[in-house]
Amino acid sequence: MAKAIAATARTYEGAGLRAETTDFDVGLMLAFQRGDESAFRGLVERNHARVIGLVYRFVGSMSEAEDLAQEVFLRVYRARQTYRPTAKFSTWLFRITANVSLNALRAHSSRRDDVSIDRLAEWSEKPQTPADTDGKTPEHRLQRTELQDKVQEAIRALPEKQQIAVVLNKYEGMGYAAIAKTLGCSTMAVKSLLARARENLKDHLLLYIRTGRDRLRIS
Amino acid sequence: MESPVCRWVRSVLPAYLDGELKATTAAAIRRHLKRCPACAARARLLADSWRLLDECEVPPVRAGFTGRMMERVAWEKAHGSLGRSLSARGRVRRILTAAAGIAAGLVVGFGLYASSGYHSEPSSPVEREVSRSLTFLEDVDLLDEIAVVQAIDQVLAEKDGPSEGT
Repeated sequence: MAKAIAATARTYEGAGLRAETTDFDVGLMLAFQRGDESAFRGLVERNHARVIGLVYRFVGSMSEAEDLAQEVFLRVYRARQTYRPTAKFSTWLFRITANVSLNALRAHSSRRDDVSIDRLAEWSEKPQTPADTDGKTPEHRLQRTELQDKVQEAIRALPEKQQIAVVLNKYEGMGYAAIAKTLGCSTMAVKSLLARARENLKDHLLLYIRTGRDRLRIS
Repeated sequence: MESPVCRWVRSVLPAYLDGELKATTAAAIRRHLKRCPACAARARLLADSWRLLDECEVPPVRAGFTGRMMERVAWEKAHGSLGRSLSARGRVRRILTAAAGIAAGLVVGFGLYASSGYHSEPSSPVEREVSRSLTFLEDVDLLDEIAVVQAIDQVLAEKDGPSEGT
């Protein structure tokens, strides 16, 4: 497959496109474009955890995150002929993921309370073995869940583009330039988005900044 | 009242905390933060609120997602919702072909209608039979027009290269 990937990349370069040749996922996508369905399976296997995690940051429910992740990969499948390897595969994939997530949030804007309940249920189902508890009391775990919900609420209270910028920067470790490519805007715009987002988050979480860490500290 | 320097430092604090500033700019901000308690406190608040985001962990992903995804793909294919994706050129070509066929059908149909002198709903069996024959003729003519369009399309496709989905 490596030879085929390199040959396809040279085809794109010959057509004047700067092809991303170092990204293995780009190679898989190009192979899939040529009709290799096993390459699509490879893309799903390699990227599904990141996609699900990213969607989870927006919607706060694992079951919904998995459903939406399926929608993301279906869009990848349908768009295979229009894909062009001019950037990292993850840039394109994350753009689709952000769009799908935000569409879900817009469609279910009243679900925030339900999501909090889902989150509490998910965390309460974690197995309570000695290794998991690690000396933490039930009260501590509940306080932690409350803080997690508060942080989720703070992120979801942000305007959409600020949400995406925060999630990509904080949880995917993407720099401003990479986020700009994903969002289709300038690096300066990303800088402005993140500056405003961080101010908003600071204001929303002020109480928890001052008291949350103290409450969670293990004595 | 906030000084212009403090105003500027606060505007770039997030980028400074993210390590996105040039080394010389970052060094200047570091020096300012050492001298300005207000800006230093603001930087700490921004950094602490950012660190709180680490509290949001992602629960473990359920095993078997890839298998479930491939089953979903198979289902979508079986129900025709994962058709072969067309390029933009393919889509335009398909739309133009359909539009040409519809336009040709309208022209032929109107021509037949106008020339036949038949302007009202058929009421008798003979009239209904004539109406059905006229409809058939329209379809035949429509078929001929589509065949012409498809022939032109074929020539274009041979000129441009492999077909992209029409």
